[in-house]
Amino acid sequence: MSTSTTEPRAAGADDRSVVQIGPFHPLLEEPVGFELTVEGERVVAVDARMDYIHKGIERLAQQRTYDMIPILLERICGICSVTHSVCFCNAVEDLLGVEPPPRARYIRTIIGELERVHSHLLWVGLAGHFIGYNTVFMWAWKYREPVCDVFEMLTGHRQNSAIPLVGGVRRDLRVEYLPEARRVLDELDGQVRMLTEAVLDDPVLAARLRGVGVLTPQQVVDYGVVGPTARASGVATDVRRDDPYAAYGELDWQVITAPEGDVFAKAVVRLLELAESIKILRQAFDRLPGGDLSLGIRHVPAGEGIGRYEAPRGEDVHYVRSNGTNMPERLKVRAPSFTNIASFQASCIGASIADVTITLAACDPCYSCTERTIVVRDAAGGEARAVGDLIARSQRETRRIAAELGRPADLVLPAGGAR
Amino acid sequence: MTTASELATELQRIFGDAVDCVARSPRRLYVGVPPERLLEVFEQLRAWHPGFRLATSTVLDLREEIGVFHHFAINGESLVVTLKVMARKPDPSVPSLAPRIPAANWIEREMHDLTGVRFVGHPDPRRLVKAAAFPDVHPLRRDFDPVAFKEEIGEHLDY
Repeated sequence: MSTSTTEPRAAGADDRSVVQIGPFHPLLEEPVGFELTVEGERVVAVDARMDYIHKGIERLAQQRTYDMIPILLERICGICSVTHSVCFCNAVEDLLGVEPPPRARYIRTIIGELERVHSHLLWVGLAGHFIGYNTVFMWAWKYREPVCDVFEMLTGHRQNSAIPLVGGVRRDLRVEYLPEARRVLDELDGQVRMLTEAVLDDPVLAARLRGVGVLTPQQVVDYGVVGPTARASGVATDVRRDDPYAAYGELDWQVITAPEGDVFAKAVVRLLELAESIKILRQAFDRLPGGDLSLGIRHVPAGEGIGRYEAPRGEDVHYVRSNGTNMPERLKVRAPSFTNIASFQASCIGASIADVTITLAACDPCYSCTERTIVVRDAAGGEARAVGDLIARSQRETRRIAAELGRPADLVLPAGGAR
Repeated sequence: MTTASELATELQRIFGDAVDCVARSPRRLYVGVPPERLLEVFEQLRAWHPGFRLATSTVLDLREEIGVFHHFAINGESLVVTLKVMARKPDPSVPSLAPRIPAANWIEREMHDLTGVRFVGHPDPRRLVKAAAFPDVHPLRRDFDPVAFKEEIGEHLDY
């Protein structure tokens, strides 16, 4: 006699299973759960669970003074710490109708771009790992390390600088380390160039990532997708150029776009943006003006303001409403991953399981999800499969394509090799 | 480039006194809209410029009513347009934008979780940021008391 509690097999959905991705993974900083409904190898529906660690930061901010809030907001993200604190300052400065002094604007630019460089390198490494290109992972993370060191030399900390302040910056950079910062940048410039060329020239990568996880320009607008994910679909959106803050309006740099909308385009955009960030940093070091660090804001009158900031992952938006006291009545924070992750509804449908990992990773979400995967059950009551290996599947797919092309399944060292 | 005052003039020409436009700077426009005309004004925005995307929305408790502020931006431009609708307590509700623009889906679910404002016509009104085990209270309401809440629930929710 059967004691099975599985539901009767639904007609026409013999092959339909539910794959759980997440919510926990030791590599990543935040838990998120994805639920893929698959028919055989094809994904037919995606759902996300985001309720694991709501930190209540917006409400906490309503109980902090304007001076304290930037330090609280640095704790929103372990990677884009400068992002949220400067974005908040942009919002309050919009409310006040003021612009911080030149030196403060350049310092914000420098720490913002250093953050973008180490964040993009982090992504390049992880993306390499997800498709089995572990050389890329090793290189990118090796190159990232000196950038974090420079961040520490200039600000005193590898991630949370505590430098942004409404109306300026709290402290000066430690300028005695600028020569060392320049030396690291010079070295990084060559490394990034080599990495970019190696990725662009690799036929396996092109075969593996072209046409995977495509977002159309219309989907970009509909889902409100921002940052490199939008720019890789040919949508030229970049807050640094569109709604300039800090010193970006005075510097010479390009908004990088690519028309294809696939994962390969997203990788190319990020790699080329690394070179632009290095260009911005060099100019900012050269032109770093003297003068005041802060306007010395003492009072924020009643009113409202909207701050925008181009985070490594895209546009960050803060809305601030003041009632004239020393704490805001409301602070709304929208990080770029909030809209980018929702676009999985468009980019993952129809994809094969082997492509989902890299498609989910392609918008550089604050990941948390992608490796520790379990299949809970077969929704149609069939055989329960354990898929502890989404990444292994993704890496197998790369090896298959490499074998077909008669190539090694990893990046080939260019002449001269990696340093 | 679109400026806030140009768009304000245009919206006032179409909707007259029904909308309350305040251009706080050339790049920031705030438009008060009655809830029953929200969808109409939204469609007008998109007709005026098809590139308007929903950047995000803010919800806040204003004692007698709940404010829902939708912030729209255009890729490649500096303008941010905020459509403000007010929902009266005790049963605050506003029309949902989610059937017309996918970007509204998640943020409306979040706003409902935090303040209990209902989005009429939302295709998928499940919780987003509030865990399943979290009681049916709204932590961003002014009358929410975290200390009393902790005493009642204990330090840990059972997931």
